[in-house]
Amino acid sequence: MNEKIGVYVCECGPNISDRIEIDRVIEKISSVEGVKVVKKFGLLCSNDGKKYLADEIKKEELTHLVVAACSPREHEQTFMNVCLEAGLNPYLFQLINIREQCAWMISDKEEATRMAIKYILAGISRVTLHRPLLKKELDIISDVLVIGGGISGIEASLSLAGKNRKVYLVEKKESIGGMVKNFSALLPYQGSNLAVIEEKIKQVQNNENIEVLTSSEVEDVLGFLGNFEAVIKSNGDGSVKKEIKIGAVVVATGFSLFNLKDTPQYGYGKIENVLDALEFEKMSASGKILLKNGKPPKSVALIHCVGREEKGYCSKVCCLYSIKFALHLQDKLPVVDVTEFYSDLCLPEKADQDYFEEAKKKGIRFIRADEFEVKDKAGKISVEYKVAGGKKDSIAVDMAILAPAIVPSEDTSKLAEILNLPLDETGFFKEVHEMLDPISTPIEGVYVAGCALGPKNIPESIIQSQAASGKILSSLIPGKKIEPEVKVSEIKEEFCTGCQMCLSVCFYGAISFDEHKGISVVNEAICRGCGSCVGSCPSGAIRSKHFTYPQLYREVLQALR
Amino acid sequence: MSTQTESHKNHTKGVIISAKEGINKAILDIFKKSLEKKCFDAILIPVRVPDTESYAWVLLKDQSLLDEANPLPPVMSVQGAKALSSLTKHGEMTQNIAAILRPCEIRAAVELFKLKQIHLDNISLISIDCPGAMPLSDYVTDPEKYKKRFKNVLDKWGEDDSVRPVCHICNRFSLPSLLPQKSAKTSPAKQDEPNLAIPDLHIGLLGGNKEKIFLIPVNLKGRKILEKLEFKPDDSLNLWENKVNEVQDKKEKRRNEFNQELRKKIEGQEKFTAVFDECLNCHNCMRVCPICYCQQCFFDSASLNLSPETYLSRAEKKGALRFPLDTLLFHLGRMSHMVLSCVSCGACEDACPMSIPVAQIFSLVADQTQKAFDYTPGINKKEPLPLQAFLEDEFLEVETPSEATTPIEVN
Amino acid sequence: MKKPNVLVIGAGLAGMEASLILAEAGRKVYLVEKESLIGGQTIKFEEVYPNMECATCMVAPKQQEILQNENIDLLLLSKVEQVKGSVGEFKVKIKKKARYVSLAKCIGCGACYEPCPISLENEFEEGLSKKKAIAVPCPGALPNVPAIDPESCLRLNGKKKECQACKEACMFDAVDFSEKEEILDLEVGAILIATGFDMFDVKKLPQYSYGKANNVYTAMEFERLYAANGPTEGKLVLRDGGIPKSIGIIHCVGRAEQGYCSGVCCMYSTKFSHFLKHKIPEAKVCEFHSDLCIPGKSHQKFYQKTLNQGIDFIRCEDIKVEDKNGKLQVNYKNHNGGKDIFKADMIILSPAMTARRDTESLAEILGISQDKKGFFSTQSEKLSPVSTAVDGIFIAGCAEGPKDIPNSIAQAEAAAGKILSILS
Repeated sequence: MNEKIGVYVCECGPNISDRIEIDRVIEKISSVEGVKVVKKFGLLCSNDGKKYLADEIKKEELTHLVVAACSPREHEQTFMNVCLEAGLNPYLFQLINIREQCAWMISDKEEATRMAIKYILAGISRVTLHRPLLKKELDIISDVLVIGGGISGIEASLSLAGKNRKVYLVEKKESIGGMVKNFSALLPYQGSNLAVIEEKIKQVQNNENIEVLTSSEVEDVLGFLGNFEAVIKSNGDGSVKKEIKIGAVVVATGFSLFNLKDTPQYGYGKIENVLDALEFEKMSASGKILLKNGKPPKSVALIHCVGREEKGYCSKVCCLYSIKFALHLQDKLPVVDVTEFYSDLCLPEKADQDYFEEAKKKGIRFIRADEFEVKDKAGKISVEYKVAGGKKDSIAVDMAILAPAIVPSEDTSKLAEILNLPLDETGFFKEVHEMLDPISTPIEGVYVAGCALGPKNIPESIIQSQAASGKILSSLIPGKKIEPEVKVSEIKEEFCTGCQMCLSVCFYGAISFDEHKGISVVNEAICRGCGSCVGSCPSGAIRSKHFTYPQLYREVLQALR
Repeated sequence: MSTQTESHKNHTKGVIISAKEGINKAILDIFKKSLEKKCFDAILIPVRVPDTESYAWVLLKDQSLLDEANPLPPVMSVQGAKALSSLTKHGEMTQNIAAILRPCEIRAAVELFKLKQIHLDNISLISIDCPGAMPLSDYVTDPEKYKKRFKNVLDKWGEDDSVRPVCHICNRFSLPSLLPQKSAKTSPAKQDEPNLAIPDLHIGLLGGNKEKIFLIPVNLKGRKILEKLEFKPDDSLNLWENKVNEVQDKKEKRRNEFNQELRKKIEGQEKFTAVFDECLNCHNCMRVCPICYCQQCFFDSASLNLSPETYLSRAEKKGALRFPLDTLLFHLGRMSHMVLSCVSCGACEDACPMSIPVAQIFSLVADQTQKAFDYTPGINKKEPLPLQAFLEDEFLEVETPSEATTPIEVN
Repeated sequence: MKKPNVLVIGAGLAGMEASLILAEAGRKVYLVEKESLIGGQTIKFEEVYPNMECATCMVAPKQQEILQNENIDLLLLSKVEQVKGSVGEFKVKIKKKARYVSLAKCIGCGACYEPCPISLENEFEEGLSKKKAIAVPCPGALPNVPAIDPESCLRLNGKKKECQACKEACMFDAVDFSEKEEILDLEVGAILIATGFDMFDVKKLPQYSYGKANNVYTAMEFERLYAANGPTEGKLVLRDGGIPKSIGIIHCVGRAEQGYCSGVCCMYSTKFSHFLKHKIPEAKVCEFHSDLCIPGKSHQKFYQKTLNQGIDFIRCEDIKVEDKNGKLQVNYKNHNGGKDIFKADMIILSPAMTARRDTESLAEILGISQDKKGFFSTQSEKLSPVSTAVDGIFIAGCAEGPKDIPNSIAQAEAAAGKILSILS
């Protein structure tokens, strides 16, 4: 064959040269067909080493390069860069690990040498089948679509909008502001109050780089990072349609409240003056805290954790806002007795406990209880409960305010389908990695921020929106091209039966089905080269460009010889 | 999960049809009527090939051809799902077609539907109680003898062991909703999900004593068909259900015992390889299998072509090398590709020229593997194939080493 | 003229995440870290909740990226000495201590450790084991290059000027005793504080018998005990050599003193229980808590799973740990008001997360204030948790307040985003 393979063994100081008989390796490898030159060198990753390799590639007119040294994690990129600079396609290269996998593991020198030779022979078998893959560059659009005009969407829009970056803010209601607009005050920032929110809303409306589309919904989104196309329908009946081109999407569709009809024992909807938290916020904001009969309440019960057991998670914000309500009630009403019923107090922010202490000092009672029954007893509301320890008790109040669990907003599953985003078992959008990538989705370029991801308070929502902006600002720079993954999958048409198994296992939405041809197609701009699809296809119609069956078989067979 | 009482609720009513002139005739008359009344534009049904004793799937519009048709032929010459997939792979049916298939063929069709190899729109699936089929090679050598035996098979439902081995132990010979569920997850779709329950119509033979047959609508579509045929599904199905349950219990027991015996016979490296000793690597089993849907089987592809040096060195290492190569690899590979959808139809064993009990072995492995994934193939159109559904709390026992997962020493 | 580069103080998770986002956008980042390795506190853990993922494996790819990214200038063993100027043109003085080992030449073979005659307490291992004067803090440290502690090293502290055992053992001539401390002058456009947290000093609370009874551990000590690369290689062996059969985990240690709930301890204590039950199935594990603070959509499920493993969660107060002749006893008041006890072989204390001990001095250098709880103050009036009162100085992670990993990462990404938008 016409290959001219250059094999270079790195001594890595004493690391490899002490534990492996490099000269014997060189002797063995020299006799392999296609290998033009086998040499050793002290430290190939050093500047001298890199220059040496580049010179060798040019001098020996190598068609393939094999380096036997340390782990690819260390220096695969280093040597690929060397190839690139020397004019050799960087994918016609293989780095064989004879340090971590041989020298550092096998104490017997004979054995280590034997294994090193095996690995190198295997690598050589493989490299001759490599294809000279080419890097691609794609133009991108830097504009962004933000779905949801609540505090998260507003914050994201403000962080992103700029001279070279337009933001489309789509809101399904008639005005932006989300849930926060209804609140009477914000704990723990009571000082700042709603003025801050109102100011942000004004900023959005006055920003010439933000186009606000109210009474609008997203109908469809197609494409990939840097190149999305979205269809927005407006006017409620969807009569007005607008097509926009954007580079990224931020989903900030917020939350809904737990359906209190599912917990009838709390009397919501049946007993008068039993309110949910949002209703109380609105009442508070209006300035008039009154019962249905027009009089102010003299005693109020605040019940936390409504729906917590049913949903299986703690909504985090209710303890604090219930304390906010309690303090507000005391502030605004001349005489009022307030009791808070809770199961566990969840006050994780550094300032939260201070409010709890303040509330206790002001005479607000905190009772740990469960098994509630809210009944109508002679015009008053009777809250029956069981304290820890088993004793049953009850109090009579004028008004009861329920803190319902925070659940995903109603359009979440529809939007998830449109954007091909996974939901987790709680129904909220599922992040890529719970720890290290809390706002990204498997679809590159689509982020989620705020309560759409799960219950959280306002500062956290703001942080997540700014985080989404951070990721977009850093990856979608106007004028800069993006380079998608090179080692992607591809489908051989003639073998594809259109069963779409590959489609169903692709986490990234990189495979689509061509109805006309009846086959599946890989979008190389989205594919991350994970190989799940390759494993799922029984006929082997789909394969990785850099991990083909012949490449893998040859390598393994050679190693097992 | 379907309990006895629930299923009782689901299928309490059907249509009892007199079969005094023979079961076949009763069924074929209904089909003739259905063509007349334009319930269907065509019917896919096995028809006896003229001047022979073999049967072929025929898509027919001409009523007169129905005279030679047989909804329950004594052999399964071609797996019905394969015939259906030839018909509808490349697009939706534009006319109304009825396909009468054995329960295993229906289940295979549903699996193929999940794999996008069959489009079920405008197809009415009609299943029929199945006592089994005769071994194809036996039947071909002496069709008269085996036709007679088949009559006995129909009479002594489940007791005559001249049927194929996998048929003799078949525990899914009637409607899916009456038959064993592996888990609550895997239940047939309820009747109130109009287009999900399968099949559309079922013809019950058990409990009719050869004098009557039962037409059972399984979903809304089935009901509409009966309406068009001017039948009112008002009759009680008790006789049929009771008989099915009775036979079911026997079959279930027989299947478990048989599988236990079979396992002992083929367990372990030596015994297992010995089973495939006579295999010619002809790949017939794969070709007739309805679940093997690939354009080109991986084991026929160039991916497995290796250099002569490789073969020589293998021969050297082992002392000898047999050709064609990698027989066991083919079977294990095919197993790993299709066993989760295997419906134990037995087409593979019929097709094997060396009479290797391949259906029995694959069925045994299928039962175990499907159980591990809590999956029953072919009874719920919506349930995704196990490899498409990743559940976080599946196979936790494999995550942490335990006695069950410690490999056994094999020498 | 606005400088586009950024100074990030602290190479823990928040600092690394922010650096990577900024580097991807093409900015030059000076990542200043006072220790000799990167990864912060997270690399001390074996597993993280709630999915019990291997902590070091999870962080390793980020660490690798930091080490190999051309836009990131990693300055280890470095501290910020002085900051002058304003947003767009800060002038920063960094004091970089000498490592005495060349980062370029050393390949991490570890041949120099054995010949060194000096052993000292290993702070990384929470004092549970010793290390040599030339050493990496733990196996798997990144960068995998040792540092010499100048106070312990015989040559550097003058006690034995001719000792060069490590230098002789090194094949790459990477040991350089002549290395000097450097003062670097940097000009940056923005500064990000990501200095992380410390834990409450449990010695301040004598009722838990920490330091007196042998087998009372802090959470961090337990993390190291549990870690596969730790002093016992993950074997649960007590200080006196035994294997614990009865373990008590006490929450909220220092909560009353600090005046806030740290938000993560209930979850990591549950993680400990989960691990203990797995490792020692016959052990009795009891968690003593006041309120269970487990927000987070998957957290309650994790708690439920652990509960089902047979771990006791006891709501109580007035907890005291007594040393009864080598055996430990937890005295507490249960929710009925009655007194009760629990006998244990091992006690793990879950202390509050506090601000770093050097927050005050760093705050002064940067010209920002501390809040009532000791953490750096943020510009909360504008609902801006990543901004400080000084333009151009931002904050992310536990330096701002106690939080878990996802929130630290999100805050780091947010801060990076803010920096990118003000310094275009």
